[in-house]
Parts: sequence; structure tokens; C-alpha cells
Amino acid sequence: MSTCETPASEVIDNDHLTTIRSRLRRVVDPEVGVNIIDLGLVYRIELSPGQLLIEMTMTSPACPMGDMIIDDAYAELEGYLPEACEPKIVLVWSPPWDPSMMSPKSRENMGW
Amino acid sequence: MIKVTIRDLPPLARLPILLLGMFSLIAGVMAGLARLGWSVPDPANAAAGVHGALMISAFFGTVISLERAVAVARRWAYLAPALAAASGIALLGGWLPLAQTLAIGASIVMTVSCAVVLHRLIAPFTLVLTIATTCWLVGNLVWLHSGLIAPAAPWWLAFLVLTIAGERLELSRFIPTPPAARYAFYLIVAGIIGGATISLWHADGLRLYAGGLLALALWLLRFDIAWRNARLAALPRFIAICLLGGYVWLAFAGVLGFAGALENGHPWRDSALHALGIGFVFAMVFGHAPIIFPAVARVRIPYHPAFYIPLLLLHLSLLIRVAGSLGGSFSLLKHGALLNSLALLSFIISMLISVARGKKTRTAPP
Repeated sequence: MSTCETPASEVIDNDHLTTIRSRLRRVVDPEVGVNIIDLGLVYRIELSPGQLLIEMTMTSPACPMGDMIIDDAYAELEGYLPEACEPKIVLVWSPPWDPSMMSPKSRENMGW
Repeated sequence: MIKVTIRDLPPLARLPILLLGMFSLIAGVMAGLARLGWSVPDPANAAAGVHGALMISAFFGTVISLERAVAVARRWAYLAPALAAASGIALLGGWLPLAQTLAIGASIVMTVSCAVVLHRLIAPFTLVLTIATTCWLVGNLVWLHSGLIAPAAPWWLAFLVLTIAGERLELSRFIPTPPAARYAFYLIVAGIIGGATISLWHADGLRLYAGGLLALALWLLRFDIAWRNARLAALPRFIAICLLGGYVWLAFAGVLGFAGALENGHPWRDSALHALGIGFVFAMVFGHAPIIFPAVARVRIPYHPAFYIPLLLLHLSLLIRVAGSLGGSFSLLKHGALLNSLALLSFIISMLISVARGKKTRTAPP
């Protein structure tokens, strides 16, 4: 299990992943009105000493909203993580997003 | 905290390009009004003959290639909107060959941006977006070669229509679409490109082109996620309503075009072109500005129900214009066109007010 440890030995462990995910659920794709977790845009959330790494994608590489959505995600994490735990959100294009990556509930809502 | 890739251009540096693009919009609208006999400042009056070039190649060329440059996040990609915006200035200065050269340069740079997108993902929608940009380039080359706007217009309009279509095709992936519908979409794109190509030699190509527009409208009305999003609230609903209204105008333009209205000198040409340019394209712009403008300029545009006011004005003023054009009343057409420009102005004002509101909500204490 990886951790994001502060000097005061405050540890963010995988139990906090649920909270991180629920915070990221507040970041919504404005075009579709669905959050980035349920859309399946967040590929990886990894905790390591001093850092929280998040890898995410966009549904389209021609979409200009990438940086804005990433900023929204940073804003949602702000205040939750200890100061020594730096969040790093990286935009990746592999593997390409696919509708099968949406959460079962979202897929159902979309008529799949 | 705003994080921008080092290779990308900072949001503040993008603003002058956007403002120059807006300059083409204002000049283009005034040039359009001059064509209908409205009194406008001299430079716009002199540009009456290049209204289409100012609106499509200069203004839309700037904003669409700017949007793409933000997506690919490379400094060089911003050369496309900068050159397109400069072509608008050159047009207004009366330097036609310079304007044409700049527009060609802009479309070549944007084509390279499309190659970056394709390198990230080769998919039907990224291919359609690339075809759309190629249409802009072809239109600019036709414009340079012929020296005329009319033969370039179908290509320029295809640039706008296929850019929107490509983006909608991408979003249609959220919902299940039958494979046959996918093939139908490719056929429609082929029809539009084929029609534009034939139109270079024979006017009948414009009927095939218009048939493609009509088929595309019907496809979007059937398979776009807009129907689903129209049942949501706030901004997604507003965007969906903008789109659905736009598809109706696209279908209308297709029907008129099929009847020959896209041919140069046809009495319904004004209706067909503006149903497409204002009813379809600008309705799309109204819907997406609240999300695209913040992505480009990194400002907040919080949703407000008042967004519907410019949209309503847009549709009503276009109805008046079309009624004038089809009913043979030049006065009605002329006043409808003036109201069109006021609808655009009200939209710009609503966006500026929203940016101010966005700043206030950001700086307000929690």
C-alpha cells in the first residue's frame, strides 16, 4: 500500500481514496453534465510519499477544456490534502477513452 | 491555481488574438449590413464585398483554430489564429492578396494541429475534424485562385459545419448508436465534400451539398445527445436547446439549398446562407461560448437563465430576415439583418456581464 506521508506522520492511506474520488465527483464535464469519475476519465489515483498522482484523460484530444477541468480537480483537492502531500494531475491519451469506461450507473443513464 | 504546460501559450497572451478575432466579427457584421444598404463606417462599407471572408475565414477561422491550439497546447499552434486574425485586418485594409495569403497560412498551421490530434487518436471524429480544417484550406486556395468569395463559400461553410459535426459525432459516443447510423454519417460527410467539389465546375454540386446538409441535420436530430441533455438542468440544458434549434435551421438551409438557393444570385440565397451561418453556427456558438471561452481565457462564465434572451433574439430576428427574403420584402430582410446584429451584440454583452459575475463569485468571501 502506498502512502502520502507528512512530516508530522499524518498518513493519507488508501482509505482516503474514497474521499478523493468523491471530491473529484464534484468536477463535472459541463457539456454532458456528468462528473469525471463516472465518465471514466480518471485512470489512476496513486498515493506515494509526499505525492498524490492522478492520471486522467479527456474524451477528445481536440477538446480545449483539459486544463480547465484539471484546474477544477486541483481546486476540489485543495484543503483536503496535507500541505506536504502535493497533488499532481497528469493528462494522458493512452488508452483512449471509450464508452465502456463509464460507471455502470452512467452507462445505464445513457441508455447502454 | 492555473497550471499551463510550458510549451503552451499563457491564457493572458491568448486574449489579444481573441480580441483581434472579435474585430473581424464586428467588421464582418458591419460589412454585411453595408451590403443591405445600412449606413456603416467607411472601412466596413469598403469591405462589403468580403463580408463572407471576414465572417468565416477571419472570425471563425480565428476562434476555431484558437480553440484547437488550446487543445493541442503548443505555442506554434497559436500561429493559426494569429494569422487568421491578421487576415481580417488585411481585409479591412483592402490588401486582398495579403489577406488571402495569411488565411492560407492560418489554415495550413491548423491542419498541422489536426495532425497532432490525429497522432493522439485516430478515430472517425478526429478524421472528420481534420477534413473540416482541410475544407478551410481548400476554400482559401479557391478564394486565392478565383479571386471570388462565392466558389470558396461552400468550402468555408463545410469547415464550420463539419467542425461542429465532428464534435457532435464525438459526443454521440456517450450513447449507443447503431452501426448503420455510423456508416450513414460517413456517407453524409462524403456527400457534402463531393457536392462542394462538383460545385467548382457545376452548380448542381450545390444541390448534393445541400442534400448532405439536410441529411446531417436529420442525423443530428436523431442521434445527438442533445435530446438527453435537454432534460437536464442549467448549462447542459441550455447548450442542448441551442443545438436543437440550430439543427432545425441546418435542415431548413438544406431544404432551401436543395431547391437551388445556394446558387449565386438565387433570390433565397440570403436565407439559405444565414439559416446556416446564423441559425446553425451562431446558435452553436451561443451554447458553447460559456464553456469554450473559459477554457481559452481561463475566466469563469457562470450560467444564468438570461442566456436564453440573446438566443431568443437570434431565432426571432432570423425568422424576420428569412420571411423578408422568401416573401420578397427587402425592407423586412434588411431589418431582420439589423436585428441579427443586435442579437449578436446582446450575446456579447451577456458574456461580458457573466465574466464580471464570474470574477465576483470567485473573489467573494466563502
